[in-house]
Amino acid sequence: MECGVKFGGAAGQGLLTLEIALMDVLSRLRYHFFATKNYMSRIRGGHNFHMIRIADHPVHALSGDLWEIVVAVDEEAEKRHRQSLAEGGLYLSAADMAEMTRLSGDAFGDRQSVNTIVMGVILSAIGCSPQRATEAAGAAHRAEVLERGFEIAAQRSFTGRFPVTPHAGACHRFDGNQALAFGAILGGCQFMASYPMTPATSIMNYFSRAALQMPLHFEQAEDEIGAVNMALGASYAGLRSMVASSGGGFSLMAEGLSLAGMTETPIVIIVAQRPGPSTGLPTRTEQGDLNFLIHAGQGEFPRVVYAPGSIQEAMLLARKAFEVADACQVPVLILTDQYFADSVQVTEEVLPTALSRRLYESRDSAYRRYAPAPGGISSLTYPGLGKALVKVDSDEHDEEGLITEDLELRTRMVAKRMNKFEHIKPLSEMPVFSGDPDAQTVLLSWGSNRLIVAEAVQRLLAQGKKIGGLHFGQVYPLFAPMVAPFSLQGKRIFCIENNATGQFAGLLKRELGIDTDRRILKFNGECFTVAEICEMVLTNREG
Amino acid sequence: MTATATKEMAWCPGCGNFAIRTALETALTELALAPERVVLTSGIGQGAKMPQYLNVNYFNGLHGRSVPLAVGIKLARPELEVIAVSGDGCMYGEGGNHFIHTLRKNLNITILVTNNQVYALTKGQSSPTTELGTKNALDPQGNPNRGLRPLSLAIAIGAPFVARGFAGEPDHLKDIIKEAIRFQGTAVVDILQPCVSFNRINTYSWYAERVFRLEVPLADRFEAMKVAELWGEKIPIGVIYRDDGVPPREGVAIFRNSVTAEAVAALLESHRAQ
Repeated sequence: MECGVKFGGAAGQGLLTLEIALMDVLSRLRYHFFATKNYMSRIRGGHNFHMIRIADHPVHALSGDLWEIVVAVDEEAEKRHRQSLAEGGLYLSAADMAEMTRLSGDAFGDRQSVNTIVMGVILSAIGCSPQRATEAAGAAHRAEVLERGFEIAAQRSFTGRFPVTPHAGACHRFDGNQALAFGAILGGCQFMASYPMTPATSIMNYFSRAALQMPLHFEQAEDEIGAVNMALGASYAGLRSMVASSGGGFSLMAEGLSLAGMTETPIVIIVAQRPGPSTGLPTRTEQGDLNFLIHAGQGEFPRVVYAPGSIQEAMLLARKAFEVADACQVPVLILTDQYFADSVQVTEEVLPTALSRRLYESRDSAYRRYAPAPGGISSLTYPGLGKALVKVDSDEHDEEGLITEDLELRTRMVAKRMNKFEHIKPLSEMPVFSGDPDAQTVLLSWGSNRLIVAEAVQRLLAQGKKIGGLHFGQVYPLFAPMVAPFSLQGKRIFCIENNATGQFAGLLKRELGIDTDRRILKFNGECFTVAEICEMVLTNREG
Repeated sequence: MTATATKEMAWCPGCGNFAIRTALETALTELALAPERVVLTSGIGQGAKMPQYLNVNYFNGLHGRSVPLAVGIKLARPELEVIAVSGDGCMYGEGGNHFIHTLRKNLNITILVTNNQVYALTKGQSSPTTELGTKNALDPQGNPNRGLRPLSLAIAIGAPFVARGFAGEPDHLKDIIKEAIRFQGTAVVDILQPCVSFNRINTYSWYAERVFRLEVPLADRFEAMKVAELWGEKIPIGVIYRDDGVPPREGVAIFRNSVTAEAVAALLESHRAQ
């Protein structure tokens, strides 16, 4: 049982407030839901719409089916969304909304409470009783206003039209960016410097608010160059540190990334993608920066790139990012995107709570930052811990950290840094398989497409297709043992990506020699839906 | 502190950086700062090689980025003595944005600028502080841009401690550096540094004929601005402006103070769908 609700209108008309209020109440009523939004890069006006898929089972993607409830606040919304209403669906037109707004002004002296009325209509349609609704709404919404929504639903015979049984057990509600910030805190990250940029800003919001209660520090930098250098300074000084931005801001950090590689300073960089090139579509989604992250920065140095696709995975990989960054003294990047960042999920996954923290070992005055060590990774300490002096240099340097132009030493230092791939290898995050293990067709995903593809696989299995899905949470580096258990040889491989060229498919070919039979691509700025992937798989449509 | 004079220094014979290095080293010694409690940050350029020749912690980073490194270090470890040192190109050119906004933060750090009014390591191009009309490698017809006045810029932004030293008066310079390090808040010291290879105008003798010591810093910003703007016939050195009434922004005492399991549990609980 499901009920899809979509509401559209101009920015500043209170739609976001409605979405948040509805999510709060749905959570308290123990419904499963998945909510995402499609918005323009402006503060007022334009056209935004919000989508909530309410279900009696966990949902983590847009189904792509017609909507049971459509609320159009203005003519633009009517024009765009009226036709996406399912047969027998509940439609609140701009005229209905205007009438309800007038009513809320007249009856309750507050035109804004129209949102509460709409919420009442929706809750009534999914079969919630007015008593439970008012209880769950609590003090935030006046009972008589909410009840008016139930009355309107009854007048129009909407009551219980799309019943959904609330079944959520012990659940948590996170959006993708909150999950990454939470995971970073679990990973012992205590310092974040950043410059605001959509869609990464909510990671900063979360971290800076958490800092009110915890020993963390958020610093708003003057620009992304300042941000990455502040984080490197803080990491050098002893704190696990991170920055977050989108592709444009990350472009400015490229030299800092290379500095992290050269100085072997651990850092975590989160890149929340939006469609480029350049400013692109600032508030939409894309997976266009994979190649950029893998190649950014002058010179050669090891790095790791994660691309989580569920709330739990975002937390686990964010935590792991700090551990791997410290263990291998490399930069670790986390790729996410607007879709995952802005999607709110009710998750039944077991969420991690174990904390990781940096080790502090003091060293004496004989310490040399880049001295050879067993295993090849030099011992790391921090200024002022003991008598050790910690000397790091962006120039090629000797074991003490002094500039050198000794070319034999240069060769040894390059080898020392590049050898870290050997340390990264055993720490690799294995891909996750879903569906039929014997299937000859496998849908590959990375990052935010994970759960969309997983649901598409389930839907196709239900239709009798033999199919599987393989999700990569670690997209770089790729090692043969990561894919060995899934025997991809000889199978039909479809790679599903939100970009125009199939960057991951290209990477698989280059790194592991794996050929992709088809690339299923979407790059209009919106996420895939489950129905869309199914249709593309079945019809050989490529995008 | 022991001088690392045994190391080969990459500066030209006669370079102003030698005297600046000695002044900084002596200042650190006289302040009795333990080397492991001091961190120098620097960018790229000849002046930025300074930390290589001092026996302290350092992070020699990217061109223009010594200051945000210093900010990150100071925020993370307020107890460390953090000094950013780089040249005029690094601090005022490539790192100009960081210079401006870091002064607004007023952390308790020291910014030393070895200002030779030329890009020397890249062999003689105009820098932000090169005077209008000066002929340089890329300005064969003379620099078309006006020279930056770093002291009045720093005062205008609100830096509470703004000074100028001269490599030709190393004892005086050492005293300024000591005062800058002791000052509670961001201290900026622009240091006149003759470049014997690429600046034929602003030589030791050119400066020696013009500098005069300002014995008492000005406390009024607008009066200080007038003195800071003096250039040409008379060039003031010393602490130009000092305001002890501005409390510095403190770093945060979070080093080795980890997030607790209880705090994380409470944070997770705030996400419970109920």
